[in-house]
Amino acid sequence: MSSSKNKHSQALLAKLAAASSSWGIRSVAFLVCIALLQIAGDFDLINQYYLHILTIIGMNIILVASLNLVNGYLGEFALGHAGFMAVGAYAAAVIATKVGPPGAMTFVLALIGATLAAALIGYLIGLITFKTVGDYLAIVTLGFNMIIVNAIQNMDYLGGPRGFGGIPKTTSLIIVALCLVITYTILRNLVFSGHGRRWISIRENVIAAELMGINIYKAKNMAFTIAAAFAGLAGGLWAQYQQFITPKSFDYIKTTDLLVMLYLGGTGSLSGSILGVVFYMILMEILRNVLAMIDPRLAELRMLISPLILVIVMLTRQSGLLGNREWRWLKPRKEDSTDEYSS
Amino acid sequence: MEIIIQQLLNAAQLGAVYSLIALGYTMVYGVLRLINFAHGDIFMVGAFIGFMLATTLNMPLVLMMPLTMLLTALVGVAIERVAYRKLRDAQRVSLVITALGVGIFLENFVRIVVGPQTRQLPAQLPDSVLKFGSGLIITEDKIWIILISLALMIILWLFVQKTLMGTAMRAVADNSEVIPLMGINLNRVIAVTFAIGSALAAAGGVFYGQAYSIDPYMGIDLGWKAFIAAVIGGIGSIEGAVLGSFMLAGVEVFTVAYLSSNLKNGIAFGLLILLLLIWPSGIMGKPLLKKV
Repeated sequence: MSSSKNKHSQALLAKLAAASSSWGIRSVAFLVCIALLQIAGDFDLINQYYLHILTIIGMNIILVASLNLVNGYLGEFALGHAGFMAVGAYAAAVIATKVGPPGAMTFVLALIGATLAAALIGYLIGLITFKTVGDYLAIVTLGFNMIIVNAIQNMDYLGGPRGFGGIPKTTSLIIVALCLVITYTILRNLVFSGHGRRWISIRENVIAAELMGINIYKAKNMAFTIAAAFAGLAGGLWAQYQQFITPKSFDYIKTTDLLVMLYLGGTGSLSGSILGVVFYMILMEILRNVLAMIDPRLAELRMLISPLILVIVMLTRQSGLLGNREWRWLKPRKEDSTDEYSS
Repeated sequence: MEIIIQQLLNAAQLGAVYSLIALGYTMVYGVLRLINFAHGDIFMVGAFIGFMLATTLNMPLVLMMPLTMLLTALVGVAIERVAYRKLRDAQRVSLVITALGVGIFLENFVRIVVGPQTRQLPAQLPDSVLKFGSGLIITEDKIWIILISLALMIILWLFVQKTLMGTAMRAVADNSEVIPLMGINLNRVIAVTFAIGSALAAAGGVFYGQAYSIDPYMGIDLGWKAFIAAVIGGIGSIEGAVLGSFMLAGVEVFTVAYLSSNLKNGIAFGLLILLLLIWPSGIMGKPLLKKV
C-alpha cells in the first residue's frame, strides 16, 4: 500500500520536475549568480554602485513587464502604471513603519500588503476604465494616476506632499532578484496559458474575440488587476529600498519612463521588457559616465540623447528592439515549434 | 459678487490659454488621429521663443507675437516632417511614443539652452488697473489676453469653415484615405494643420508668460490639462475644445478659490472621468463606430 503511494508520489514528482526543470534550474542558477554578486559586494570585491544599478534594473523590469500585460498583450494604451506603484509603495511604507517591528516578517507582510492594495485599487479602477477604449482609455488611466498622486498629497497621515520617510531599508539585490523570478514565473505561465491567448486575441481583433465567446470586459480587467498587483509589488520594494518616498515621484513622468523602456524593448514579449530596461538603464549610466569624463558640463546632454534614441528606434524599428519575439529560454518547451503567434 | 466676477475673469484668462493649446491637439487629432504628446512642449517652446525675442531683442508685443507664432509654426512643421511623417501609416502607438520622445527632447533642449530657472516674460500688455462700481478691480492685461485669444479663435473658425484649405482639412479629418485621391495634397494639409496648431500654442505661451511664469517643464502640466479639455469637449471638434477649456479652467479656478489648491488636479481629473463616463466621446465629439 505504502509502496504504491510512494510510487505514485514519485511519478508525480518526476512529472513536476520534467515540467519545470529547465525554468526551475535556470531560476535557481540566476538567483545563485545574484547571491554571489551580493556576497562579492559585501566583501567590497564589486563596486556597490553596480549592485545599486542592478537593483534598480530589477525593480524596473517588474514594472515594465507588468505594464506589458496591458499595453503589450492586451494592446490597450494605459498611462497610469506609476499610480499603482504609488499605492504599493505607500502601503508597504505604512506596514513597515506603523504595523510591525522591523524584521523579515514585517518586510514580507509589507510586500504582500503592497501587492494586494495595488491589486484592489487596480481592480476598482479597471471596472471604470474598461467602459472606455482607445484614446479615452489612455486619458482615464492617466487621470487615475493623477488622482492617486493628488489623493496622497492630501493625506497628512501619509506625509502629504512632503513625502514619507524613515522606512527601514530591507530591500536588497537578492530580494529584488527573488521577486523578479516570482514575477516572471507567474507572468510567463499566464501569457502562455489560455488567459494570455485571450488577451492576445483581444489585441488582434476584439470583435472576433468576442464572437469566440471571450468575456472581453472580464479578461481586460483581469490583465489590468494583475498588472497593478505587480506594479504594487515593485512599489513596495522601491519604498523599502529608497527609504523615503514622495507622491511627486509617482506621477506621469515615472509612467512615461516606463513606457519608454517598454516600447524600446518591444511590446507583447516578456523578453522585450528585460531587454528594454537593461538596454536603456545601462546606456543611460554609460552615457552619464562617458560624458562626465569628457567634460562635466556635457553630462546634461544625456537627457537629449535618450529621447533621440527612442525616436530613432521608433522610426527604424517600429516594434521595438525585439518586436514581439520571445527568447527561447523564456518560452515553455511546447511553444518552441510554433515560433510566432501573431503576424 | 465682485469676487465672483474677478474669479470668472481669472477663469476666462486661464481658459483662453487652455483653448489656444487645446485647439492644436484637436486639429492634429482630427487629421492624423494622433494624440500629439509633444504639443504641450511646443507651447513651452513658443513661450521661450517669445521670451528670447522680448528680452534679447527688446521687441514690442505687436512684433514679437506674430514672429513667435511664425517661428513656433516652423518648429511644429519641422517636427511633423522629421519625426511623424514616416510613421503615418505605421501602428498608431509608435507614433504616440515618438511624440512622447519629441516632447522629452524639447523639454531637455530648452532646459540645457536656456536653463532650468522659472522666468517671466516682460509685461508688455497695457496693465493699468480698472475700477468698477463698489470695489471690482480688473487689470487691463487680462481683458486683452481674453480678447486677443477670442479673436484668434474666430479667425481659426473662419479659416476652417470658409477657405479652401480649411475645407480640405475638414475633408481629411472626415476620411484621410479617399481624400488624397480627390487631388488634395495630404502632406500640405497636414503641414498647415501643424503650423496653425503650433502658432496658436505659441500665442498661448506668450500669454501664459505674461500672466504667470514659464519654465522648461511647464508644457507637461499645461499640455495634459489642455488635452483633457479637448477630450472633455470631444477631441476633433474645434468648438468642443474651446468649450472644454473654459469649463476646465472654471472648475480649477473655483476649486482653488473656494476649496483648496491641493485638490485642483484631483477634482479636474475626477470631472474628466465622470464626463467621459456620461459622454464616452466627449460633449461635442462624434461617437466612435466600430465596423466589423
